Amino acid sequence: MDFALTEEQEFFKKMIAETVDKMIVPRAAEIDEKDEFPHELWHQFASLGYLGIRYPESVGGMNADKTMCLTFYEEVARGSTGFSTIVNQNCLMGTHFVYKFGNEAIRERCFGPAIRGEKVATICFTEDQSGSDLGATRTRAVKDGDGWRINGTKQWITNGPICDFCTVLATTDPSKGLKGLSFFLVEKGTPGFSGGQTLDKLGARGTATGEVVLDNVWVPDENFLGTEPGQGLVEVGEILGEVRLMVGASALGLARAAYTEALEFSRKRIAFGKPIGSFQLIREKFANMDMEMNAARLMLYYGAWLLEKGMDVTTAAAEAKVYATEVCLKVVDELTRIYGANAFAHEYAPQRYFRDARLFLYGGGTHEVLRDFIGRKLIGRL
Amino acid sequence: MENLLLFIETKDKELKKASLELLGEAARLRAAGTYKVHGVIMGGVPEDVKKKVLPYVDVLANITGPALDRYTPEGFASALAGYAKEIAPKLILASATQTGRDFLPRVAVLLGSGIASDVTGIRWSEDPVKFVRPIYGGKVLSEVSFTGYPAVVTVRPNTFAGEEPGAEEGEYLERQAGIDPGQLRTKVLRREESGQGKVDLIEADIIVSGGRGLKSAENFKVLEDLAGTIGAAVGAARSVVDAKWRDQEDQVGKSGKTVSPKLYVAVGISGAIHHTMGMDTSKVVLAVNTDPNAMIFSYADYGIVGDFAQVVPAMTEEFRKRLGR
Amino acid sequence: MNIVVLAKQVPDAEAHIDIGEDGKGLTVEQKFTANVFDEFAMEEALRLKEKHGGKVKIITLGTGKATEVLRTGIAMGADEALLLEDGAFLNGDGYATALALSRAAAKEPFDVILCGRQAIDDDRGEVGPMVAQFLGIPHGGGIIKLDIADGTATVECPAEGGKEVLEVKLPALFTAQKGLNEPRVPPIMGVMKAMKAAIPRVAPAELGISPEEAGAAGSKVRTEKYFHPKKKAAVQMIQGEPQEAAVEAVRILMDVERIL
Repeated sequence: MDFALTEEQEFFKKMIAETVDKMIVPRAAEIDEKDEFPHELWHQFASLGYLGIRYPESVGGMNADKTMCLTFYEEVARGSTGFSTIVNQNCLMGTHFVYKFGNEAIRERCFGPAIRGEKVATICFTEDQSGSDLGATRTRAVKDGDGWRINGTKQWITNGPICDFCTVLATTDPSKGLKGLSFFLVEKGTPGFSGGQTLDKLGARGTATGEVVLDNVWVPDENFLGTEPGQGLVEVGEILGEVRLMVGASALGLARAAYTEALEFSRKRIAFGKPIGSFQLIREKFANMDMEMNAARLMLYYGAWLLEKGMDVTTAAAEAKVYATEVCLKVVDELTRIYGANAFAHEYAPQRYFRDARLFLYGGGTHEVLRDFIGRKLIGRL
Repeated sequence: MENLLLFIETKDKELKKASLELLGEAARLRAAGTYKVHGVIMGGVPEDVKKKVLPYVDVLANITGPALDRYTPEGFASALAGYAKEIAPKLILASATQTGRDFLPRVAVLLGSGIASDVTGIRWSEDPVKFVRPIYGGKVLSEVSFTGYPAVVTVRPNTFAGEEPGAEEGEYLERQAGIDPGQLRTKVLRREESGQGKVDLIEADIIVSGGRGLKSAENFKVLEDLAGTIGAAVGAARSVVDAKWRDQEDQVGKSGKTVSPKLYVAVGISGAIHHTMGMDTSKVVLAVNTDPNAMIFSYADYGIVGDFAQVVPAMTEEFRKRLGR
Repeated sequence: MNIVVLAKQVPDAEAHIDIGEDGKGLTVEQKFTANVFDEFAMEEALRLKEKHGGKVKIITLGTGKATEVLRTGIAMGADEALLLEDGAFLNGDGYATALALSRAAAKEPFDVILCGRQAIDDDRGEVGPMVAQFLGIPHGGGIIKLDIADGTATVECPAEGGKEVLEVKLPALFTAQKGLNEPRVPPIMGVMKAMKAAIPRVAPAELGISPEEAGAAGSKVRTEKYFHPKKKAAVQMIQGEPQEAAVEAVRILMDVERIL
């Protein structure tokens, strides 16, 4: 077991960390305040080429190993959780299906521009009545001539109201539940496709998140992104592990941002004539935070190792995502305790970290559903 | 008795205050009989400067020549090293002004000697002589010594108190540099003044500095008024330089200048480390900020929690009354 | 045009520093970064290459970790790198370090050498001018603008309340300071290339440097000890309304501290 990063991976980590510090960190507060898609930053960041990180060089990607990918997701979220949600869509969920199942024309029209940052991508799962319960998906795709007619409304879609194209989860046969799901490409400008209401979110602000309406949208056969209808769950299952590790890595990145803030503050803030870092109860907090962040890190990068080796990462990824998120929630909480009353003011960063952390409870699966899933796997079919 | 060689600077035909500080320290050593003091001035010396310097030194050498009319690192280094070879001093001292720090390292190489730059203290009575210099932005002080002599030292302005000279005037001599100006590969094309004889922050006695808390570039007028009244230079924190409210050369801090004035007034400056590392050796620091928890108060001797727009003009007014200006 | 950049890997500005028991050693938190002023030098070198063609070679003296600053340069666009890594090079003063770097720079003909005005750990600012003197070339300190035409550089340097415009014949060395340029952020392609780059090392002997001339042995300045600056006493807050506080402040500065 080699726990060390290679010299190359260390260097990559350093470079992306410095890039985040230079480009993203200074704008993080503004991104949160404005809660608008940050066009200027997006173009600047995209031009560096990182969006293609997990795709092969042959299609304009960088073919980085999974450890580097996680490092990347971690660092970007450390800079700005809100911005990372946009980046992550273009890096993985929003582009995977067009990459894997799209034809030449679709790849050129959607995939290429997405990883160059010229188009904003997203994936649409959630609906009013279906979050974790994908089987209850009501968005319906019906075969219509040499294409499909899609009807439905999606909720909670990152970039939804403004995206250039999205991968939509729809059911081709409601009676089949989870075995009736498929993915379809729908592009901006398609009649009937529109962005709807935008949500005013508690945290991870910095883009439009909200409704996507599909009103009698017709797409040609080539927009069906999959092997055959009904295989959607299996197909998304291929990337679910990576998605969960991505969420976990993002949570760890945010935890680190909060931890660093807490550390600096503890070294400098004077109370009772000494820096507060001199007091035992403060020191205890750091010991606990470090222990838990280290554990989260090991779980996440073990997951990356499994992914890299092509081994089954289902349980490991779910566990890592749950654990890293719970750790993140604790760390941001501790920061608000260490920071004192100033954590209660919008002017300072701790409140943003505190709000942002709640995001991870939802992305990649709720913890209640995941824990039940993990437990079931461990105990086995009874 | 060993020789001490001082590089003395003038600006606009006047002796620089930083050089006066060096001369004062040298005069002290001269009076104690430990060193024979030689001073060097490059280029022409106005009569009154000559008169002012002579009581401090045993010898004042004026090195002239067409190659020394304007400062170039090569020209000055060659001239100073040449004179040093002639008198074989133990130490060559210059003030750590921009000029001093720029060419004294070249002198060290020409003499094959060591150099200690931007020194903030000298323990003359120890053997070997010990020099204190800040590192890591002033977070740590290091005490260094030389393995041999001659050695070159640049001293941070405002390090020495500036003693009174002795009564005995030294001798004055002139030297030709013997440098062919055609050999110099640096030519000064022109000089542009920023305005009203600004004193370099590094050499200023008093600095009034402003940060983001001033809210706009125009508000710096309030600081300039105070500065004008008490003869201070105006500095700036990085944030206002990046916002282009003030010039880069006014920046105090990590990627700007490190200053050591008698008084540093920090107005509307939060006190982030990249700033404080540039001013935390100031003798007295007064901070004015609306935020009682601002980090700057940890680096200040005195603090006022208040709105600069009310506090600073009131200070200016009070100074005017007290100084009769 | 052959451009050489001298860079240094330094501890992060906020790195925690512990002084040893007897003031003898320094333990610095292991967080490193490229010296900020050297980044301006690297960026300027790349701009010169983009304008005039040629190549950029980046050289550093340090331990194995110092490869990071070289890789950063390559990620930004440098063509070659060189590491002076031998233990013998370490802990040198400005003189020994400048001697070693000047020999490394002179291995090939060059037109311009660029480096930062000073390193933020040692704060010496000596190496640039000393390298220039060792190589017998002119230098311009703390430049904020650089243009080259027909073997001559025209530079601008802030100079004590003003700005000077100088003409310097190449080959020459220039030290960079803030205001010269805005260093580029390396694109991922550069980062991937830098990750894979093999970094050549060179030993003192190859540079014609004897053991007595290298590193600590070749230093003319010796560090006797380290200590922390005296901590200021806790701040005295001046109370009262702005008017009152201002008057009190003036009284303190003039009568107590005797500033004016």
